[in-house]
Amino acid sequence: MINPFQKKVLILAVRAGELMMKNGAEIYRVEDTIERICKACRIHYVEVFAMPTGIFVSLDSGEDHSDMYTYVKRIKGGGDTDLTKISEINRFSREFTTTDLSVEDGMKRLKEIDNIPPTPLPVRLLGASLVASFFSVLFGGGVLDFLCALLIGAASYLLSLLLKRYSINYFIRGFCCCAVSAVLALTATAFIPYTNSNAIIIGTLMIFVPGVAITNSIRDFLSGDMLSGLARATEAALIAISLAAGAGVMMKLWSTLFSSLIGGGTFI
Amino acid sequence: MISAFFFALFATLGFCIIFHVPTRHIPVAACIGGCGWVVYQLFMSQGTSAIVACFIASCAVGLLSDIASRVFKDASTIFTIPGILCLVPGSGMYNTMAALVSGDLKEAASTGSNTLMMAGSIALGLLAVGAVLRIILSIVHRASYIAGKL
Repeated sequence: MINPFQKKVLILAVRAGELMMKNGAEIYRVEDTIERICKACRIHYVEVFAMPTGIFVSLDSGEDHSDMYTYVKRIKGGGDTDLTKISEINRFSREFTTTDLSVEDGMKRLKEIDNIPPTPLPVRLLGASLVASFFSVLFGGGVLDFLCALLIGAASYLLSLLLKRYSINYFIRGFCCCAVSAVLALTATAFIPYTNSNAIIIGTLMIFVPGVAITNSIRDFLSGDMLSGLARATEAALIAISLAAGAGVMMKLWSTLFSSLIGGGTFI
Repeated sequence: MISAFFFALFATLGFCIIFHVPTRHIPVAACIGGCGWVVYQLFMSQGTSAIVACFIASCAVGLLSDIASRVFKDASTIFTIPGILCLVPGSGMYNTMAALVSGDLKEAASTGSNTLMMAGSIALGLLAVGAVLRIILSIVHRASYIAGKL
């Protein structure tokens, strides 16, 4: 039988794990955090099984006639990757296990961490436009491409945030954002001389590239969490396909629609 | 090469902002991204294939992020994620798709497989660094344990 105190600890641990998973942590980090929090509160028999879509925790008090308890937490929809939150929870779990922080205070701390405001929108747009513009230069763009990518990157990132607000799924989101950025880039190159649509489209594509999914899937494979590694690798592949499809469809449409109008077209 | 470093540095800075890297770690994370790109370009300019260059660059990023995570006592993910993003073959993806759109299936197959292998080599680089570090650390741990016993 677990007592109310142990139940509180369990809820705290699972909450911490859920937060980490949603903000893009690896599986072993999530499992390790939950186990450490439980063990710090003298629950000695803990078994955790975490996946990107759910966390399972089993507890036992270790007495002969005690029942085992299992808690299942379903995690729906990955949130934004927020590395500040991961860093804070990491520090929190270290603090919780080494000092005698009470469970209530711990829960309060977790709520605070969950409510850390994201970077303000203008700054995030600036980040997206930095990524787009500098990558367009790295992939052979000039000054004009830099400026175009700056604006188009911000616009497509804004669109992706908008679609996320209406909880459109990630495949459609990637498709739409890349389609819009491709159209904008092709329009810009049609009207502004000495610009290169390839560099601009690659630059904006880089904003949405599934780097987090790739890195995490490798780390999961490395630590032996095959199922999660496979799940995240599939996610990365699907995102990559959605991006390429979005840009590709629009470029094909553009070349078929306007190739006769703009004398041979800007592409192909 | 120096200008490439700064371009990559600013691009990584953008990723740091999007992924909300803690403000105190942003300079280091951006520098790791810049270093990764410079290593990649360095090997590319020596005529190494893109796949090998990607592997070595991702090894460099993995190693630097691990060092940074130990120095600043924070999760290494915080440095790896923005650092590795510069190397992800976005241009390969684009070129594959452009070849597909223009109906050049041969070109699409060759760039496509090249892109996949680049992504794989990034993965392999991180994996290799992780594995080697784990071995070295366990040896160091063991040695200090034995030394403590003596």
